[in-house]
Amino acid sequence: MAAPGSAAGVGRLSRWRAEGTRLSLLAGLAGVGGLGATLVGPIVLVIVRGPTPVDRLVNTLHSGQLHALFVAGIVSGAVAAIVGWGSYRFVPTKVAREQAIGGAVLGLQAVIISALLLKFTSGNIDKFATNFLDFRVLRPHLGEFGRAAKNTLILALAGEGIGVVLGLALAVLASSKRSVVRAPARAYINFFRGTPLIWQLSFIYFGLIVGFKINISVYESAIIAFGLNTGAYAAEVFRAGIQSIERGQLEAARGLGMSYLKAMRYAVIPQAVRRVIPPLMNEFVILIKDTSLIIVLGLGVKEYELYAVGRNLFSDTFNATFFVATAIGYLVVCLPLIRLVTALERRLRSGLVGVVGHSMAEA
Amino acid sequence: MSGTSAAEPLVRVEAIHKWFGSLHVLKGIDLSVQPRDVVCVVGPSGSGKSTLLRCINLLEEPSEGHVWFEGRDITDVRTNLNEVRTHIGIVFQQFNLFPHETAIQNVMLALQKVLGYGKDEARGIAERELAHVGLRLKGDSYPGQLSGGQQQRVAIARALAMAPKLMLFDEVTSALDPELVKEVLDVMKRLASEGMTMIVVTHEMGFAREVGDRMIFMDEGVIVEEGRPADLLSNPTQQRTRSFMSKIL
Repeated sequence: MAAPGSAAGVGRLSRWRAEGTRLSLLAGLAGVGGLGATLVGPIVLVIVRGPTPVDRLVNTLHSGQLHALFVAGIVSGAVAAIVGWGSYRFVPTKVAREQAIGGAVLGLQAVIISALLLKFTSGNIDKFATNFLDFRVLRPHLGEFGRAAKNTLILALAGEGIGVVLGLALAVLASSKRSVVRAPARAYINFFRGTPLIWQLSFIYFGLIVGFKINISVYESAIIAFGLNTGAYAAEVFRAGIQSIERGQLEAARGLGMSYLKAMRYAVIPQAVRRVIPPLMNEFVILIKDTSLIIVLGLGVKEYELYAVGRNLFSDTFNATFFVATAIGYLVVCLPLIRLVTALERRLRSGLVGVVGHSMAEA
Repeated sequence: MSGTSAAEPLVRVEAIHKWFGSLHVLKGIDLSVQPRDVVCVVGPSGSGKSTLLRCINLLEEPSEGHVWFEGRDITDVRTNLNEVRTHIGIVFQQFNLFPHETAIQNVMLALQKVLGYGKDEARGIAERELAHVGLRLKGDSYPGQLSGGQQQRVAIARALAMAPKLMLFDEVTSALDPELVKEVLDVMKRLASEGMTMIVVTHEMGFAREVGDRMIFMDEGVIVEEGRPADLLSNPTQQRTRSFMSKIL
């Protein structure tokens, strides 16, 4: 097959045309065109006509051009689905079969999405747009959203930092062969996995202030709670990683005269940590969103994180566009991380375990 | 028993038993190994050879019986096993190199973290040991970049770097492609000729005949017969030994 690279890309394109049949090309192009009209078309239209003020947006959403795009999406998608579905078994080459199947699937997506959007924009879109898509109201508050995103990241990073260290320690205890060592670690892990984070946040905050008479800020207390909670989940991730390392690694290290703890530290854990980087980052993505629960402790204006800032502005204005902005804020933070997880997983799967992140083993 | 004098044996195994749950794997094994001896342990799979070997450095704890090393009962719970194990090198069938470390780091690790050598000193020893097994130029390779035979030689160098008094080899050529077996056996032959005390669990009868001072045939958790390799290979006295040898030779 063709090697990756732009030259090969061009080769694939010409092969794409040469080995396709008339029917399969029709299905493929109709599928791509239908989905393009459905997804890309409206975005281009909104940008060209201007997304603000909201009256202009409503006009665009009501416009015949937009509806024509959706109808085109439905028709083109339907053609792709029918032609592709009808022809994929009879076309002579693999390329043509992929075109036919791909076109049919994309066409089906175009039909469903177009129909939903057509129905949606035909309804009382004024009300929806005024409430959810009035992006002009965001402008004076962009700075607040920026600070809120920073606060969200501070909470998540600090919590994760505590959680990873704690989790690793708990995982080593939970992997012990002695039940008296395992039991307290298990009790801790099960308690924090078995109670809601929102309860832990309140209980730790008031418990520290009332019970231990510690004068602690909401942020400090919340970071502790996030750390203790993440520690329990990270412990399970690390434990799975430790158990996935072949027994021979521990034996080789013990055979060289290392104590159990040295063998874990120098032979087992560096490998285990590498294996669990993707699931750990998944936990981090979950924590980013869970930091929104800090709102139950009550926050000062400068302490607002992404959810609190959206909710507060919503209750000031009753305009849910702020909630939309909150969601966009979370996506902006989380999507790059999710992509990084996928890339790391691919790299680890490709057998580079021994080389990936080697510098991390030094310490 | 062994042909040498009644001097203090380096290793003495006395009446050890091993149960895995209800499975009785070793059923009262006695064995002495004199310094500079090369003892080859052979037998069908499941006969307990590997378990016996692993009982000698207590990677497996014997359920009953004693193991003496240099006159010290290392099955006594008060023994510092970590210290004892620095004198007993072990090499495994599956190499068990640390995949996240380069070859030379594999050799250096225990020198630094167990024996307390500084980095430069450890590197010097590691380079010498890698050269000793013919891998002077492969120090910066990761195990995944080496052939099975090379990996196994790194594992031998890793064990030798600790300057052990006894080397245990647990079927070290069984996981290798046939064309890679010789390079590992050659290293072991040289080691034997240099006077290393070795206990070798193996299926390589040619190696046992050439290098072994003594051969032990085990079956079903007992030592069935022991003697000079040539005798055991060509005219064993026990029926079970005879039937095993006739199957593999």
